Amino acid sequence: MFDLLSIVLKYVFVFIIYLFIFTIIRMIYLDIRSVDYGNLESGAYLKLLNRIDSLPYNLSDSYPVEGELTLGRQKENIIQIKDPYISKKHFRIIKDEEEFFLEDLGSSNGTYLNGERVLDVVRIGKGDIIKVGELEFIFIDGA
Amino acid sequence: MKERLNSKAPRKLLFLFEILSLSLIFLFSWEGIQTETYAIAVGLVLLIYFSNYMLGRISKGDNYVFLIVCMLVSIGIIMIYRISPDLGLKQLMWLALGIAMFFAAYFAIRYISFWDRLTPLYLVVSYGLFALTLIMGTRTHGAINWISIGGVSVQPAEITKIVLVFLLAAFYGGDEKYRRIKNAEILLMLVIYSFIGLLFLQRDLGAALIFFGIFSGLQYIYTQDRRLIWANLGLAAIGGIAGYILFDHVKVRVTTWLDPWPYINDKGYQITQSLFAISEGGFFGTGLGRGNPAFIPLSYNDFIFSAISEEMGIFTGIGIIMLFMLLVYRGFKIALRQDNQFFRILALGISMVFGIQSFIIIGGVLKVIPLTGLTLPFVSYGGSSVVTSFIALGILQGTSEKRGKAGIGNG
Amino acid sequence: MDSERKRIITILVALCMGFVLLIGYLSYFQMFKAQAVRDNAYNKRLWINEDNILRGSIVDRGGEVLVYSESRDGETQRIYRYDNLYSHVIGYSLKDYGKSGLERRYNSYLVNANENTAINELINLINPSGVGNNLSLTLDHGLQKKTRELMNGKKGSAIAINPKTGEILSMVSLPDFRIETLSENWTSVSENPDSPLLNRGTQGLYTPGSIFKILTAVGVIQEGVPEAIYQCTGSTVIDGYTIRDFDESGHGPLNLEQAFAVSCNTYFADQAVALGHDNLLRIAETLLFNQKIGFDTETNASVFPRESIGLTDLGASGIGQGRVLTTPLNMLMVVSAVANDGYMSMPYLVETVQSPGGMTISSHRSESRKVLEIGESQALKRMMREVVESGTGTNAGINGVKVAGKTGTAENASGNNHAWFVGFAPLEDPKVAVIVLLEEEGASGGRAAAPIAREIIKFALNNITN
Repeated sequence: MFDLLSIVLKYVFVFIIYLFIFTIIRMIYLDIRSVDYGNLESGAYLKLLNRIDSLPYNLSDSYPVEGELTLGRQKENIIQIKDPYISKKHFRIIKDEEEFFLEDLGSSNGTYLNGERVLDVVRIGKGDIIKVGELEFIFIDGA
Repeated sequence: MKERLNSKAPRKLLFLFEILSLSLIFLFSWEGIQTETYAIAVGLVLLIYFSNYMLGRISKGDNYVFLIVCMLVSIGIIMIYRISPDLGLKQLMWLALGIAMFFAAYFAIRYISFWDRLTPLYLVVSYGLFALTLIMGTRTHGAINWISIGGVSVQPAEITKIVLVFLLAAFYGGDEKYRRIKNAEILLMLVIYSFIGLLFLQRDLGAALIFFGIFSGLQYIYTQDRRLIWANLGLAAIGGIAGYILFDHVKVRVTTWLDPWPYINDKGYQITQSLFAISEGGFFGTGLGRGNPAFIPLSYNDFIFSAISEEMGIFTGIGIIMLFMLLVYRGFKIALRQDNQFFRILALGISMVFGIQSFIIIGGVLKVIPLTGLTLPFVSYGGSSVVTSFIALGILQGTSEKRGKAGIGNG
Repeated sequence: MDSERKRIITILVALCMGFVLLIGYLSYFQMFKAQAVRDNAYNKRLWINEDNILRGSIVDRGGEVLVYSESRDGETQRIYRYDNLYSHVIGYSLKDYGKSGLERRYNSYLVNANENTAINELINLINPSGVGNNLSLTLDHGLQKKTRELMNGKKGSAIAINPKTGEILSMVSLPDFRIETLSENWTSVSENPDSPLLNRGTQGLYTPGSIFKILTAVGVIQEGVPEAIYQCTGSTVIDGYTIRDFDESGHGPLNLEQAFAVSCNTYFADQAVALGHDNLLRIAETLLFNQKIGFDTETNASVFPRESIGLTDLGASGIGQGRVLTTPLNMLMVVSAVANDGYMSMPYLVETVQSPGGMTISSHRSESRKVLEIGESQALKRMMREVVESGTGTNAGINGVKVAGKTGTAENASGNNHAWFVGFAPLEDPKVAVIVLLEEEGASGGRAAAPIAREIIKFALNNITN
């Protein structure tokens, strides 16, 4: 009985170990692809307020807004978050003239600005808190 | 719809692996199961889960190295327990201590910034440890590299290994004043060579190789005078040949590496038993509990890789090599991302320690290179080995976080 | 920072290449070297497997059980029914002293230690046989017994083969040893100066003497001068050294056939010199000299000197003296090829390997190669018939059967000549080829070896049907 179990399990073990290795490789690979934003001197950026364990990979502390910043599940987004709570294209922030605007891109679960759901396009300013699902960002305008 | 990739996935796999293999081991030693066995099982699983969780909470740095090490540690402890439940339990204790030291080292690096100014201290400590070994050392398996303090055996060379990395990091990446001393680099080389020479005297050839490897690697990257690299290699070649001619124990290693079969009963016993074990398992192994690791000398220590290959297969052996590759890769990536040069070199040095050491011992048991008495980090049994490896890992984890402006900015 | 970065990456790549090298070597090792390493006699794991398995049986061509294992109160014992009769061919299997012969070569079959493939393992689990596979040999027990009887008291070897198929019908080497008591008597047996553990048939190297003239004759035929008349005066001087005939008065005028029949030394010595070293070497190596013959047990390579030798040595080679050395098996194969019209069927002992349930797991694949032209083999057949009919080998003659062969009396360092006879029968349709070597017999091949060969042939023709 033991022999049978040991023989069957040895294949299982190899499978698990390799699955483990490949999962880690995949995660590292995805990490490399997400742009690493270092320290920022000035300019506008979105800063992450809460770190949550269940995120698929490290989220950076802050994301600069250079022209346009998008967030969603798809990989075309600048901030890609693979969480089913978040829509493929969730929201974007654009800079128009010297002002910043937050636009919800028709997300299923909504984008919340300072607690209120964003229905369309709304202007944002320094200190505003943007929440999607469990994630909370604060918008900082260094200018 | 892209598949959902959960960062908890590796941890869950680890958990599954541990549960299954532990159950199997229980079945294997059904007769002799005591509470200790359950202690191991629960202890191991909890320890790993908990430490991973804690790390996630505490550190914003790299998340992967600890995970990779946990898998290595799991495979190791399973095998060790299978070989000897006694040692398995002890290894768990060392693991617990090691993880505690991991966090300690991590905090030390994270929050203490003056490490790069302690060059003289490192020199003193290194020579001090060597002196201690020579005076108090006991000879085991032909090498003098253990000292007994109050019943506990410690391998000072393991500590000196880490101090060496600090020394080199401080020299190349720390305060400039040391590099400005006349002929500083040559003096450094002499110091390193003195270390290697002392290790030769202690017959700890494996450690000598690691010291040489780390120094050569870092020298290659950081020395301003490129000629010194050639000088280093040249001297190494001469030293190697001289060592072969002068020291019998070196000759023996080389002969048994080239053809151990005529000496199958004496000098070549270890390596041939290792090869027998490795050739027995096939790609998937004989199955846990169905092989004969008892035939391998030091199966829980230097030859743990052979025992694993026998029972868990060549594929698992390859898996272990891949895990080390990932560890080294990750370490280098951490180094590249680190702005502060001292900590960058620290990360590089530590990664090289892991890489070179695992390469040397795996290569040795496979007969790719001559055998040296080294442990496989995280996998082999051994207090010194486990604890110092986790300290090194803690240092690496510490360097994976940005220093920013708060750190000592040196390039 | 840039060059630093590049160098860092270089070191990283170097380390990764090192790891890849290890992975590569590990895979290579498993695929190509692992099996050979495992089969080492010192690998205790082989013995572990063994203790759990009932070792397979070995039977002769007729199904007669020669060796088998049985388990008694948890212990397995190996029963060698005919003990010393098969001591060299089948060999022994001892915990302390290793294995030899077929017990060694076919060990993995006998203990059913197949490759660790998934299928095999599951099969073993579902249907645990715990019993090894059996070997079915080409040997004929009756002939083996007879051969041993005939050779009793002698030192040397006798082998019988079916020249068309390569089946070894009997193989005896003397002195032999008792397997039942081998463990206790190991020291005295292994240190016995007569080397009873040695299989003289496959591994003993001896001066062939006149039986080597077969090869020299091939050379003469190839040169196209078999009919040329040679004057034999009883002695000839080559490079200052004299080679003599047995009969010093000389045979007079001879052609090849006649010289062969009476085994004239001076003829063949001079012919060898005329042929030259390269030619003789080529012929010898075509006929398996200087190479280990592939066989089911260990063999040694016969020797024909490769480096250039002096004319005297060359002449001596022509008559099978000098530095030529051969195993009995090699010369038997030469004659076997002659008998089989120039095609040498490679020798073998194991016909099939069978599972305990009777299924054939492996069976011998015959291999034959052309080593002589049909003209050469026909001529040799005629000449070898002449030897037995009216030449030096008349003692091998049988009433009613045309036996062909060649005698040999080899001078060697011991001072006592080796006595050789090699032959086959019946001439028109050869069914058996035989070689008899009597080491240091001190008598001529015709007188001492030929009669033994005759009896072996007689028995074989009467008792072995195919």
